[in-house]
Amino acid sequence: MNKKELLKGNIAIAKAALNCGCKCYFGYPITPQTEIGEFLSKEMQQRKLAYVCAESEVAAINMALGAASTGAKVMTSSSSCAVSLMQEAISYASSDELPIVLINVMRAGPGQGYIYPSQGDYNQATTGGGNGDYRTIVLSPSNVQECVDLTYKAFYLSQKYRNPTILLVDGLLGQMAEPVEINDNPYQEIDNSSWRLDGANERPSRNIHSLEPNQNKLNRHIIELFKKYTIIEQNECDYEEYMTQDAKVILTAFGTMARHAKALCNYYREKGIKMGLFRPKTLYPFPYKKLNELSQKTNLIIDIEMNMGQMLKDVRLAVLSNARVAFIGKPVGDWLTEEEMIKAADNILKEQYASI
Amino acid sequence: MQVFNIPRAIKQNSNFTFCPGCDHGVAIRLVAQIIDELKLQEKTIAVASSGCSVLLYDFLDVDCIESPHGRACAVATGIKRAHRALNNDRFVFTYQGDGDFASIGLAESMHSALRGENITAICINNTNYGMTGGQLGPTTTMGQITTTSPDGRNAHYHGFPIKTAEQIALCEGTSFSARAALYDVKNILSTKNIIKKAFQYQIEGLGFSFVEILSSCPTNWKLSPKDSHLKIQNELTKVYPLGIFKDVKND
Ligand SMILES: Cc1ncc(C[n+]2csc(CCOP(=O)(O)OP(=O)(O)O)c2C)c(N)n1
Repeated sequence: MNKKELLKGNIAIAKAALNCGCKCYFGYPITPQTEIGEFLSKEMQQRKLAYVCAESEVAAINMALGAASTGAKVMTSSSSCAVSLMQEAISYASSDELPIVLINVMRAGPGQGYIYPSQGDYNQATTGGGNGDYRTIVLSPSNVQECVDLTYKAFYLSQKYRNPTILLVDGLLGQMAEPVEINDNPYQEIDNSSWRLDGANERPSRNIHSLEPNQNKLNRHIIELFKKYTIIEQNECDYEEYMTQDAKVILTAFGTMARHAKALCNYYREKGIKMGLFRPKTLYPFPYKKLNELSQKTNLIIDIEMNMGQMLKDVRLAVLSNARVAFIGKPVGDWLTEEEMIKAADNILKEQYASI
Repeated sequence: MQVFNIPRAIKQNSNFTFCPGCDHGVAIRLVAQIIDELKLQEKTIAVASSGCSVLLYDFLDVDCIESPHGRACAVATGIKRAHRALNNDRFVFTYQGDGDFASIGLAESMHSALRGENITAICINNTNYGMTGGQLGPTTTMGQITTTSPDGRNAHYHGFPIKTAEQIALCEGTSFSARAALYDVKNILSTKNIIKKAFQYQIEGLGFSFVEILSSCPTNWKLSPKDSHLKIQNELTKVYPLGIFKDVKND
């Protein structure tokens, strides 16, 4: 076992990327993720890897697009309003089936917003901020150790499915230091020799493009993409459960918010209310099936997010009419405190159980 | 008797889809001939752009990737750098329109030149956005009528055109920047030499090499192929002089 080190989420992500063989990084500064690029600038230059201080996020993601076509492991990182700038190329990369890892360490929006905490990019990440019918895999860490583990996983899934993959990180987590172990990359390497662009040497030339002037071919291509998405949905749903076994009330939360939700579960259990937590670790694919199963044994689901209720619609789609779905949230700024959450939860619980 | 060989680097049985009299096909054939002559076919990755030449990969028999409109130099940067990180030596060039290179993609183009990115960019200047039907673009000349400048380009209303090859020559990372034309055999041959030089500079690792090619657009100019080429010879070369604006070997 490796030694534990005290690392900020941003640095942990950068170290994990290097450790699992990331060969190329392209980026442009934006708080709260800038340390990723700063850390990698030195490390990658020393290792003679590809590092470019790009002139914009548009350039950075398009460099990533080109680099990914060579089969090399590629990463870029950015934040919220700047990730918006990258959406065109993400849409292209989805159609091109190019494995790009994108780290979005979120800040507050809309627009420039500010560097305040917020989980406002759930919609953009999971439903695709670019044009057309496509999906990106989205992973959500809730502590610094998971920043490492899910960075490895993001590289693996992006290569396995040849699909852009987003690590959606709370700004809080990027900036927060915790003890972590930079373990070895547990995933196998994926062979990309059948599609990468490395020169038509003793094989026919290849091309990678999203343009398709033949509507039948374009239809077929998108239908094939969706077959792949179905496989991803069947195989890759990942989640954490906390005291859900006997729970009558289930909280749903993603990222750092799930840690606060656990504290809430403990608080209400002491008061005799059987509360548990369901936390999706994959936001796409969203674990609808598991949450649906859990909701059949409960009568109340409370979704908690640092936004105006973005994951809420996926929670509702999972729960259907099995249970009542309530929401506690706040768009930006100081993280919801335990007192604020308890106050809001008390009101919801009062409506549910007149006796409380 | 065979009088005209199709270059190896042109896909067999592919037909150019360009309008009659358009110079894109001539430029692509020259590129293919040079790929043959420099034996680059097996190590080339070409970057196509959005515009009339978007189907480049249907014609050129080399590995090829499409880039979003304007981003060809960024995509090429990623490819070149990634291959270097993988210890591969690969030849990477972009093939772009003037709108792609010098308008929507000006930042990516110029910063690639400033970084001295070891790639080659070829920019087909037909003084309009050809693919979308001939609108005013970054190189539309003063007085030129387009579908979005119905009374002609006017300095007060539209501002001025960009002299791309001269601008790229100003970037310190540029190894070679030139403007060529294809309106007669003599110029076609000299364009070929110029592209070849640009390719060789990349092979020698000298930095960003660039060729702007004045090209005909009979459909959008509403001129015959012959008159289009006369327009390039008599009018466009006055606004956009042919020549080499930077050559690190001679400077
Ligand atoms: C982001 C984006 N904006 C606009 C378009 C539409 N579009 C496609 S090609 C083109 C203009 C191409 O002009 P140019 O680069 O000069 O090349 P040409 O067609 O003249 O060869 C435009 C505006 C697009 N595909 N993508």
